[in-house]
Amino acid sequence: MAKLDVPQGTLDLMILTILAREPMHGYGISQRLAALSHDSFQVNPGSLFPSLYRLEQDGKLKAEWRPTENNRTAKYYRLTAAGRRQLEAHRQRWEQISFAIASVLEGA
Amino acid sequence: MTILHRIRSVAALLLRRDAADARLNDELEAYVELSAAERVRDGVPLEEARRLAMLELGGIEPVKERVRAERHGASLDELVRDVRYAFRMFGRHRALTMTIVATLAIAIGANTAIFTLVDALMLRWLPVRDPQELLLVKLQALDAKQPSESFSYPIARALDDQREVFAGAAGFSSYPFDVGERGSAHRVSGAVVTGGYYETLGVMPVAGRLLRRDDDVVGTAVTAVISDGFWRREFARAPDVAGRSLRINGVPATIVGVSAPGFAGANVGWIADVTVPVAALPQLSPQAAPLVGAGNFWLRVLARPRLGIGATEAQARLNVVWPRIADSLIAAHWPASRRQAMAGAEFQLAPGGTGWTPLRALYMTPLAVLSAIVVLVLLIACANIASLLLARASDRRREIAVRLALGAGRARIVRQLLIESVLLALIGAGVGLAIAVVAGRFLVDLISTGRMRVVFDLTPNWHIVAFTAGVALATAVIFGIAPALQATSVAPAAGLSDDARTSARRSRLLPALVSTQVALALVLLVGAGLFIRTLQNLQRFDPGFDARGVLLASFDGRRASVPADAVDALRGLPGVVSVSVSTHTPLSGSTWSEPAVPAGQPVPERDNAFFVAAGPEFFATLRIPIVAGRDFSERDAADAPAVAVVNERFAQRFFANGTAVGGRLDANVRGRRRRLEIIGVAGNTNAAGLRAAAPPTVYVSYAQLAGDVPTTIAVRATGPLGPAIAAVSRTLGARLPDEAIDVRPLSEQVDATMVQERMLATLAGAFGAVAVGLTCIGLYGLLACTVVRRTKEIGIRLAMGAQRSQVIRMVIDDAARRVAAGAAVGLPAAWAAARAVRSILFGLTPADPAAIAAAVTALGAAALAAAYLPARRASRVDPLAALRHE
Repeated sequence: MAKLDVPQGTLDLMILTILAREPMHGYGISQRLAALSHDSFQVNPGSLFPSLYRLEQDGKLKAEWRPTENNRTAKYYRLTAAGRRQLEAHRQRWEQISFAIASVLEGA
Repeated sequence: MTILHRIRSVAALLLRRDAADARLNDELEAYVELSAAERVRDGVPLEEARRLAMLELGGIEPVKERVRAERHGASLDELVRDVRYAFRMFGRHRALTMTIVATLAIAIGANTAIFTLVDALMLRWLPVRDPQELLLVKLQALDAKQPSESFSYPIARALDDQREVFAGAAGFSSYPFDVGERGSAHRVSGAVVTGGYYETLGVMPVAGRLLRRDDDVVGTAVTAVISDGFWRREFARAPDVAGRSLRINGVPATIVGVSAPGFAGANVGWIADVTVPVAALPQLSPQAAPLVGAGNFWLRVLARPRLGIGATEAQARLNVVWPRIADSLIAAHWPASRRQAMAGAEFQLAPGGTGWTPLRALYMTPLAVLSAIVVLVLLIACANIASLLLARASDRRREIAVRLALGAGRARIVRQLLIESVLLALIGAGVGLAIAVVAGRFLVDLISTGRMRVVFDLTPNWHIVAFTAGVALATAVIFGIAPALQATSVAPAAGLSDDARTSARRSRLLPALVSTQVALALVLLVGAGLFIRTLQNLQRFDPGFDARGVLLASFDGRRASVPADAVDALRGLPGVVSVSVSTHTPLSGSTWSEPAVPAGQPVPERDNAFFVAAGPEFFATLRIPIVAGRDFSERDAADAPAVAVVNERFAQRFFANGTAVGGRLDANVRGRRRRLEIIGVAGNTNAAGLRAAAPPTVYVSYAQLAGDVPTTIAVRATGPLGPAIAAVSRTLGARLPDEAIDVRPLSEQVDATMVQERMLATLAGAFGAVAVGLTCIGLYGLLACTVVRRTKEIGIRLAMGAQRSQVIRMVIDDAARRVAAGAAVGLPAAWAAARAVRSILFGLTPADPAAIAAAVTALGAAALAAAYLPARRASRVDPLAALRHE
């Protein structure tokens, strides 16, 4: 199956969704994203890290250095309260959009 | 996201940029490690796993670069780097940087200096409470072209009483006083004001109290307020100054208080150190007593509208009230028609928060012309700097090509170059601001050579700083944008090739810039020539009297105060040729007019002639020729038949040729009908202004004039004026201990009428020289560049047998082409500009051949001088070396 690029503007939503379950480091996020999308989405680190940094700066994420399972240290991101609110807002909007698109496609 | 949050993260970025970078590095390495570890688990060898992981990441640096771009303050970060880079470039091109900064400093300094004057004269609020509320009261009479800004004392007081319209009205006029004890009195600039003045303006005292309405009552003891500056200079800020006595014009007055620092009257440019109520004037200056009457219009009025009503509403209300109160406020002795015109007049209320000053009307045109001149200088400077930067841009071609090749965007490099321009402009502006402070004082001195000492507060305020910064930024864009675009328009490969310097495409912009400078400089030079010739024409103009060698001693107006033996005592001084008294002197700024017609004709209501009361020797002292009849003599005393001397213009208007002497006049003289016998005809004098035609004038005998009239003693002396002034001051001072004796050459009075022309000629001349200098630098730079670029060609020509003189010709021709191109645009532009200032010119037309010839010659000579060095260098090119070069 061909790999898809993450649709414009949805990467933040996916990052927030993944981190809502548990804190995770950058590599873990990209792996989880691949797994959850059944390997459809491939996120380029060159897009992932800038997004993480922007979300962190904006106070949606908080980060700390922690040891990984195999005894390295990595920077783990977790959602802040503001991040949760943003996730909720984004998710609702996404659902509206996808419902609207689906309606258009079916109705046409 | 909150602003606070953003500020914090920007601050954090700036403070811990390196630490943040290191952590980002760690994070990305962790990513590679984790990714590699997973591949190892899948059986890939370690080395290969790491390589694949790194590949997936796409390299650590590119990711870091993209993260950096996401950071808050990323652009600020780049700005800091650009600024640092710019300063490194300045350090590398020190001579060029200095030249540019100096050029900018002069050009921006000139603009700021002129703006400082404009600001001080036109834009500064008075230091009073809510100045923006204040309104200047004007009266538009039915038969007047322009509204009048002068009011009589009764009207000024009546305006203050209109509580339905105004919270208060402040009437004021500047007035000089002689202050101090007998023998040590000195002249102080002061003001007379109505009782509501300080309350209306909302000025606070720093000691004692200010004048109130109950101080402004005729007949009460004289009270005075002094300025903060006067308090410091004369009383060393003594805390008990309120209540002390101060002799003003020899009359004891009580100082009631000191006005707040910064406030020195509402007449901008004229300091009021001592302020007294109008009602005190008759006591202080008996000859000024008529000023409190209804017939004299001399007070300016600033009013503050009643709370809650605006200017329009106040004006409407005032015009409703005026017809009801007008009758009692208009002089009863006026003819009915004049009374009617006055009662039917309409009030106008104009913004008055910047105070009032006669200087505004006087200097509006000169300042507009000067502003245009300094803008031209600035444009020349911009063209000059742009050409310098263009010349450097070819040097920097390689550097820029490298950066473009390494992937920097063109916008990024244009921004870098513009930041350099802005920095240069700001540094230039900083130095320019300092120059402007000094130059501003010089400008005020130029204005001050007039009759009155002009004092301005020139400390830079935010207007001036904002203006300078704005000019600097505009300048930076003008001179920076073209070189920046041109420098980056090169393809990297071409820029990197070895031949980049010599084979660079010939810029068409550079010669165009130099020609522009020539054109602008020509406009300035022609203008300077016209103004200088105007001043010369005025100075050479024969006004009908000879000011050289004449001294004037003015007394605060009063015949009564002139000691009887003063004239005789002065006649006895060594070197004194003649001495005379008169009420007025030519070009003093003060004139007197009355109606006068041949006997038998009805005397008109309106004045039709200038009047001067003069004593014996008056015409001899001023060297005004007596063309028929005789001069006044001692015989024309008070009890002798009333006589008059008329000037030629008056004689021509009213008498057939040669019949004036012996004729009789009916005239009103100071309110009395007199019949005068004409005993002589004098030459015309331009007594009211050099540009105005000589007015018809009637001279009456000083001895036959009743009352306490203004008096000036004129002394004609031979030899140097300095000792004569000292001798006259000493002789008069001994007899007049209460007065500050003011002895000045008549030529100073004449010069004072040319203050604006002198200011324009001086400044236009100076700026013209600056413009020529800048243009020469520009031309030199262009030619020097051309010679370097054409070294090889010149070498070949020489090798083929060309004469060195031909090479020199080649360079000179190049210069001549640039100048000719500039002149082709500049001369028509100069002509158009000259037509715009036609009204200020005197004795010449806008297309004055001498001015134009001088401008073209000066510029041509300067261009030749600028071409000399490059031409000589070209002629010394060694053909062999030139051909081996490369």
